[in-house]
Order: sequence, then structure tokens, then C-alpha cells
Amino acid sequence: MNDNFPILILLFLVAAVVVLAFLALTVFFGPKRPNPDKGLPFECGTVGVGDARAPFPIKYYLAGIIFAVFDVELAFLYPWAVAFRDLRLVGFVSMMIFLAILAVGLYYAVRRGVFEWK
Amino acid sequence: MLLTLSIFIPTAAGLLILMIPRRMETLQRYVALSGTAVSFILTVIVFLNFNGSTSNFQFEESWIWVSSLGITYHLGVDGISLFLILLTTFLTFLCIISSWGSVKERIKEYHFFLLLLETGMVGVFCALDFFLFYVFWELMLVPMYFLIGIWGGPRRVYAAVKFFIYTMAGSVLMLVGILYLYFNTVDPVTGGRTFDILLITRQCHFPLGIQTWLFLAFGFAFAIKVPMFPFHTWLPDAHVEAPTAGSVLLAGVLLKMGTFGFLRFCLPMFPEAAIRFVPLISILALIGILYGALVSMVQKDIKKLVAYSSVAHLGFVMLGMFAFNLQGMAGSLLQQINHGLSTGALFLLVGVVYDRRHTRLIEDYGGIAKGMPLYASLFMIVMLSSIGVPGFNGFVGEFLILLGTFKANITYGVLGAAGVILAAVYLLWMYQRVFLGKIVHPENEKLHDCTAREAFVLIALIVFIIWIGVYPEPFLSRMEPSLQAVLDRIQEVSTAAPLVP
Amino acid sequence: MPFPLSHLLHFTPELILIVGFVVLMIVDLIRPLRRAAGILALVILAAAGVVAMFGWPGTSQTIFATYSHDPFALFFKVFFCLATIVAVLFSLASFKTDAEYYLLLVGSALGMSLLSGAHDLILLFLTIEMVSIPSYILAGVYRGQRSSGEAALKYVLYGAVSTGVMLFGMSLLYGLTGSTDFDLIRNHFLQGSSSPITLFLAMLLILAGIGYKVAMVPFHFWCPDVYEGAPTPITAFFSVAPKAAGFAALLRLTVTLLPRGWEAGWDWPMLFTLASAATMTLGNLAAIAQQNLKRLLAYSSIAHAGYLLMGFAAASDLGFQAVLFYLIVYLFMNYGAFFVVDIVSRKEGSELLRDFRGLGYRAPYVAAAFSIFLFSLVGLPPLAGFIGKFYLFGALIDQGMVPLAVIGVLNSVVSLWYYVKIIREMFLRDPLKPVPLLTGVGAKVLLLALMIPIFVMGVYWSPIIAVAGEAFQLVLP
Repeated sequence: MNDNFPILILLFLVAAVVVLAFLALTVFFGPKRPNPDKGLPFECGTVGVGDARAPFPIKYYLAGIIFAVFDVELAFLYPWAVAFRDLRLVGFVSMMIFLAILAVGLYYAVRRGVFEWK
Repeated sequence: MLLTLSIFIPTAAGLLILMIPRRMETLQRYVALSGTAVSFILTVIVFLNFNGSTSNFQFEESWIWVSSLGITYHLGVDGISLFLILLTTFLTFLCIISSWGSVKERIKEYHFFLLLLETGMVGVFCALDFFLFYVFWELMLVPMYFLIGIWGGPRRVYAAVKFFIYTMAGSVLMLVGILYLYFNTVDPVTGGRTFDILLITRQCHFPLGIQTWLFLAFGFAFAIKVPMFPFHTWLPDAHVEAPTAGSVLLAGVLLKMGTFGFLRFCLPMFPEAAIRFVPLISILALIGILYGALVSMVQKDIKKLVAYSSVAHLGFVMLGMFAFNLQGMAGSLLQQINHGLSTGALFLLVGVVYDRRHTRLIEDYGGIAKGMPLYASLFMIVMLSSIGVPGFNGFVGEFLILLGTFKANITYGVLGAAGVILAAVYLLWMYQRVFLGKIVHPENEKLHDCTAREAFVLIALIVFIIWIGVYPEPFLSRMEPSLQAVLDRIQEVSTAAPLVP
Repeated sequence: MPFPLSHLLHFTPELILIVGFVVLMIVDLIRPLRRAAGILALVILAAAGVVAMFGWPGTSQTIFATYSHDPFALFFKVFFCLATIVAVLFSLASFKTDAEYYLLLVGSALGMSLLSGAHDLILLFLTIEMVSIPSYILAGVYRGQRSSGEAALKYVLYGAVSTGVMLFGMSLLYGLTGSTDFDLIRNHFLQGSSSPITLFLAMLLILAGIGYKVAMVPFHFWCPDVYEGAPTPITAFFSVAPKAAGFAALLRLTVTLLPRGWEAGWDWPMLFTLASAATMTLGNLAAIAQQNLKRLLAYSSIAHAGYLLMGFAAASDLGFQAVLFYLIVYLFMNYGAFFVVDIVSRKEGSELLRDFRGLGYRAPYVAAAFSIFLFSLVGLPPLAGFIGKFYLFGALIDQGMVPLAVIGVLNSVVSLWYYVKIIREMFLRDPLKPVPLLTGVGAKVLLLALMIPIFVMGVYWSPIIAVAGEAFQLVLP
């Protein structure tokens, strides 16, 4: 092990030198043609508008939270559906109670105007 | 039952007063008066039935309060507390009479707090359970705070807060000491823990190091209350700013709680530490005597003069107590009573002229003896008692104290005797400037003399002043067995260590 | 795995709260019923509290391997229901608000009541969040007011950081022990196979997260700002209920995971001693300079967290019993103090010290009640606050920790300074406006209801301390 140690260090050094050398070379010899389009942030093919820190409606958050709730609910529903037979009536009733609570919550959100987009 | 009644009848009267409509002021005063009168009569009954030949506690009452902690409702009196209780109920009764004319606003609250204060004071002297004792001890703070703060003089707010913080600072350390005692003593009968003062006194034998710390924890609380020399600064403020009744009770009773605490707890519970602290306490007491007297001499305000004279008098009390012989201790206890009577009377006397002129500066008076002969003579008697002239109570107390001190340590005795002379100087000088000479201020010409009520209160005090001065035997004989018991306890441990270092 | 439905019966108080929560949501949508939401919340909370009380003391067992059903949990369930009931009464007497407000209070009570039995890191974390999230919204319930919004934002930001810290600690603990179940973690600890430093770090991070909840120094910075900005009833609620929840979690963690005699190689009582001394000293010293009474009481509640930590420093049965007892007393006196501040600030428009000048002459009853609460907070006998402190100091001295006890009693003297400042302002100064300050009958009755326990427990507290002693029986493996 000790015999190989200097070789290991040498390998590291060579690697570092090579990498740094290539980086340096591109800086010196690479062509530079700046273009405003290149500086734009790329967002799924659409052109960005305004500043990233612009405030946007709180409705997004509300919808987002509601989405998260139902997303997690689905995560519960899958294993429940798989084990449906073994859980029998108890499992069915518990899940219905769970869904009923969620439904009341959804109804509440609707009535409080979470989805009204003015 | 007698003690419980004399403790709680004032509170009951106080609560009754709170229910009386505000405008019926005379009725409120009468309820307060009868409450304190009943309490006083009950303590007189206790006094008359007291067996003066034993050091045991009498009129004991004991009920279990919180059994899981070993807290009991335990009351009792012995020769030490008997007179202090009597003094308390007597002075409170007189205070109610004396404030009949001088306190005119918020009468309802005034009497309520005064009565609550009485409960606390009598309770402290009677309590034989540490928890109960601490409850009464702290209970006094609040009414006194309000008495000074609402009905006091111009700097009352400052004085009230200072009084409150000072005494609270002392008493919380005592709480730590009490808890330490509690967790380190065992009830021999039940094997559990107990707050019973008698049991703890009998059971506690700590090594000297721990005794010293405990002595300091308790002693700090008591030294502030007494007040001993470096902790006295709250006293002039509180005394001067308090209303007359407040000053009387502060000087007459509250200060005695400190000395009483030393006598009841510090000496019998931590005797070795107490012996160790004799030089320190004696020197502080002597500084108190001389410093109090010298500062009194230069006061311009009569009330402040009386307040500083308290520092000196209480110095005597501490000096006598730490002589550790029967004369010193008996003198010390007697002097506590004397101080309560004569300084209480002095504050009442100052209150009399203050009600007429609304000033307490010596220079605003002069020659008023001509217009107020009765007042001048009453003042003279009380003053002579305060100086310690033979024939008055002050003489008996100071004589015994000095006798005891000389026996213990001649140097302390000589210095203490010098304090007696200084007391004569500042009081006589003040008397001369206030009462004698020509009338300088025309307002002083038509001051009316004491009213019948004022004279009654003062004469009631003077009766005791002269009684103790001429025939102290009934008082001393009842004290001695209990004091001897404390002394025995000290002597027990001092066989190993010499009494006088 | 069989599904023992009968175990659900142990959750009856929580089930009542859940059903009540849903019913409140529906009530909120029906306009004519909306006004009764406060009363309905009271009924729900009272029902849950009474059911929990009937279960007392019950048998100790662990349910679903994540939840302890023991006297300790029941004690705190009743406590949290009571604390929330007082908050609802306080709000009803104080201001008109949406039904949503009561909904959030009930939700918070649900979270706290689950937290009292949490026997698993994940459940503990979830329930702490269940308490916190409604609190964030409640702090900002005055939508138009800048200070209320500021309070809510600060609460959320500090809360998020501390939650993150706690979660990191929990993940470390999970990584070390491979389990989230307290019993398994404890067993792992007792085998002593983990590196003590990592273990210390993990526990320290968790304690930091909980320390934030109870406003322990140095995690107290949010407290004065949030308390000042939030509406007073909510401030009072924060100062009692979530704080007590933090202490409940801390108690269970300390007792289950840090058993006496074995301290994971670290001196935990020493850590609590330092935290306690720092918390009460800083809280009391900072309170002296305050002119705004809500801020002053905020610092005072920090100081009280310090007193409560003394019980943890003692780390004895007596100490933990004292903590439970003190929490009960603290509920009454702190709610009382905040309630008076609310009464006055509603009439005067602010809660500065000078608004209380001469209150003793403008509203004698309210001022007298305030003095009782303040004297009880100082710890003057014969009020309940004294008995609480008495037990805490006693527990310390029993363990021979006299220095901390001395620091504690000296702190009482410091606290006297600022409490007396308020009393001085009320009684010893003449009012700025000599007009009477009128209060409703409801408010007076509520004040009386808060005062009576303070007097009664100051003289006759044996049953309560017995309950606290009985409650301190946790499920241990």
C-alpha cells in the first residue's frame, strides 16, 4: 500500500493539471460571441417575462396546497385499494370517513372562494 | 382557638369592611376598631392565663394541613412571643384610634390593609410551622406596601417600592434555608419530613459549615428586617414616608420580626454558627448604635430623627441578644417591647403636630410648649423613656442589656454605654429646639393642644411605659424560662467552644 | 395485522375534537349559525375535556406502537382542553371574529391533545406541526393590521427554522438507532452502541426545536415580537397552551429517552440547569425595561419557562410533579394577567404602562384582580403561584442543587421589581383621565373564575398536587 501511495498522489496531480489546463485553454482560445438571447433564462421553451421575484397571486398557493392534500390522499388510496380484500368492512368504512372529511374540507374551500379566480 | 381567633378576627373584620358601602365611613372605622379590640382582648386573655414558669409552648393548636408534605397548621406562644403578640394587638388597636382624625381618604382600603397587616404580624409570632410562618411573613409585605404607597408622604412611591424589594430579597433566601432544613430533617415519630418548627429545632444538628450558610440565609432576612447596620437604608425612607399608623407598626412590630427571628430560629437552630458570628453581629450592632445616634443628631426632620433612633435602639437589642447570657437576652427582649411602646409613641406624637402644621422640620417649630402644655409633657415622658432615664421602661431594658454585655465583653459594653449618652444628646437637643425658646413662626402661636382622642392613645402607651419602668417583674418572669431554654441550647454546644471568643 | 378497533375508544377526546372540527367547518358555511361558532367550540372542547377526565387515571399502554395512553397524556388532554376553553371565553369577551378563528383553536387543541400521547418521533413531529400551523394563522388573524401580520410572519419564519432544526435532529436520531419508536430508541441507547457525540448532537437539536416552542433562551427571540403583535387573546393562548405542549413533549422525551442514572454520556440535568438559569435571568432582566405590557408579560412568560425548566434540572419525580403543578397554576394567572391587559387596551387603544396609571381608582375590581394575578406570578403567599414555586425550589433543594435555587429566588426578587411597577402605576399614581373604566359583567365573571383557583390552590392544593403526582406515570418499556 505504501509503495503505491506516491503513484496515487501523482495521478491526482496529473488529473488536476489536465483539468485546469483545459479550462484555461478554453478561456484563451474559445470564440466569444455574446448575444442577448443567450442570456435569457430558458423556461420550457417559452420566453421569460419580468423579474423572477415578482409577486404573484396568493391563489396559486391555495390551489397548490389543495393539490398537495389530494395528491397525498391518492398516495393513501393506492395501498388501500391493493389491500382492499384483507381489510374488509372496517377498512372500507375508515376510508369512507377519511374521504368524507376531505370532502367536507373541499366543500369548505369551495364555499370560502378558494377557486374563484377574480 | 384563642390564637386562631386573634389572628383571623382582624381579617374577618377587614373583609366585612370591604362589603360596607363606601360612604358609610364611620361604620367602617367602628368595625375596624372592634376587630382590633377583640383581637387585643383575646391576647390579654392569653397573657393572663399564661403559665410563666415553663418554657413550653402554650395555647398550642395543631391541625394537619397538607399531609403529603408534613405541613401543619401549628400555633403556640411562649415567653418570647407572648409579649410581641400583645404589643402587636395593642399597637394596632391604638393605630386605628389615632388614624380616626388623620386619615381621611380611602378609609375602606386603609382599614382593610391595616387589619390584614395585623393578621400577618400576629401570625408570624404565633406560627410554629415553617410553611405557615413563611406565609404570614410574606403576607405582611403587601398591606405594608400599599399603606406606605397610598397614604404616605411625598416620596411614598419610592419608599414603598424600596421597602418591598428589600424585604422580599431577604425573605426569599430564607425560603431556600427553610427548604434546606425541611429536606434534611426527619420527623422522629412518622419518619417523614416535617415543617414543624419545634421538631426541626430539636432535630437539626448540622456541621458548622452548613450551619454557617443556614445562619446567613436566615440571618440575612432578619438583618434586613431589624435592620442591622449595612442593611438599614430602607428604614429611614419607609418610616418617614409612611402614614403615622404605618410608621408606628413598622417601628413597633415589623422591626421586631427580625430580632424575634434571630431569637427563635438562628440561635436555637444554629448555635455553633451563632457563637461564631458573635463578633460580627456585635460590631455591626455597635456601629448601628453609634451611627444611628450620630445621624439622628444632624436630622432636620423630626420623623427622620426618630427613624434613625430606631436603628440605634435595635442595635442595643442585637447587642444584648448576642451577649448570650440571661441578663442580656432578657434586656434585649424587654427592649424590643420598650422600643415598640416608646418609638411608637414618638411617631404618634410627631403625627399630632404634623396633622396641625403639615411640616415635620425642626426649624418650623420652636417654643410650642407654651401653646401645647399637655402635648409637651407627654412628649417629655416618652422622650425620657426613649433615652432610658431611670423610672421609665427604657432604663430597665438598656440597663439589663449593658449588664449582660459587660459580662460578655467589656469593650462592647463601654461602646454601647456611649450610645446611651448620645441618645440623650440628640433627643434633648431636638426637644429644646422644638418645644422651648421663643415662638419664631407666628403659625405656631395658636396650635391647639392634644384632643381627647390623641391624649387617650398616648396615655395608654405611657401607662405601660411607666409600668415596665417601675415594676418589670411580671414581664421579666414570664420571659425567663423561654430565654433560658434558648441559652441552654447554646450552652450545650459551647462546652466544646468557648462562649466568648 | 389485526386491527383492534377497541383501541380507538382511547381516542374518544380526539375523535370528539375531529367531529367537532368538521361540524364547525360546516357551521361556518351556514350564515345564520355562524354567530354560534364560539359557543359550539366551547361545547366541543368541554365535551372532549370531560370525556378525557372520565378516563382518568386509566391504564397505561402503548397503542399502535406510536401512541401512549397513560395518565400523563390524559392529564395534558384535560389541561389543553381547559386552556383552549379559557382562550375561547377570553375571545368571546374580547372581540368579534370569524367562525374560522374558533375552528383554528379547536384544531390546535386537537394537535396538542395528540401530542400529549405521542410515542414516536414521526407522530411527535406531526403533532407539533399540527399545533404550530393554526398558531401561525391565529397570530395574523387581524388581517388589516401591520403588527399582527408582522407577528405572524415572524412566527412562521422562526418556526420554520426551528422545525427544520428539530427535524434534522430527529433524522440523526433515526439514523443512529434505526427506529422512530421511543421504546426502541431507548433500548438502543441503553445498549450504548452509538457514538455519544452524535447522540448528543441529535438530542440537542431536538431540544432546540422544542426549546423554541417553550421560549427557552437562546431560542426566545420570536417571543416578545409575536406576543406584542398578535391579538391579546391569542397572545394569552400562545403563552399558555403551545408552551405547555412544548413542556409536555419535553417531559416525555426527557423521561423516556434520557432516564436518570444513564445520560447518554452527557450531563443532561446540567444542560437544563444552564438553560433554566439563563432563561429566567434573561427573561426577568429584559422585562424590567419594558413599557408595553404585552411585551413585559412576554418576557415574564420567558422567565416562567425558566422556572419550569428548574423541574427538569432537578430531574426527580418531585421536580416533574412540580412542573405539572406549576403549569396548572400558570394557566390561571397568566390568562388572568393577559385578560386584564386586554380589557384596558381595548378601552385605551394601547397597552402601555401609562394606560394603567390610576387604574385602581378607575376600575377597582379589575385592578385588584390584576394585582392578584401579578402577585401570584411573583410567587407571594398565600396565592397559588407561591405553592408552584415552592415545589420547584423544593425539588431543587431536595437534589442538593442549592445554587440554582438561589438563582431562582433572586430572580423572583427581580421579577417583583417589574410586577410591582405595574401595581405602583395602578394604585400609587393618580389617573391621567379620572373617568371610570367600565367593564362588562361577563368579563368580571371570567376574572373571578380565574381568580378563585389562584386563591383556593394557594391554601388547599393537596388534591391538585396529588393529581400531578398521579399524572406523572408514563408508559415506559
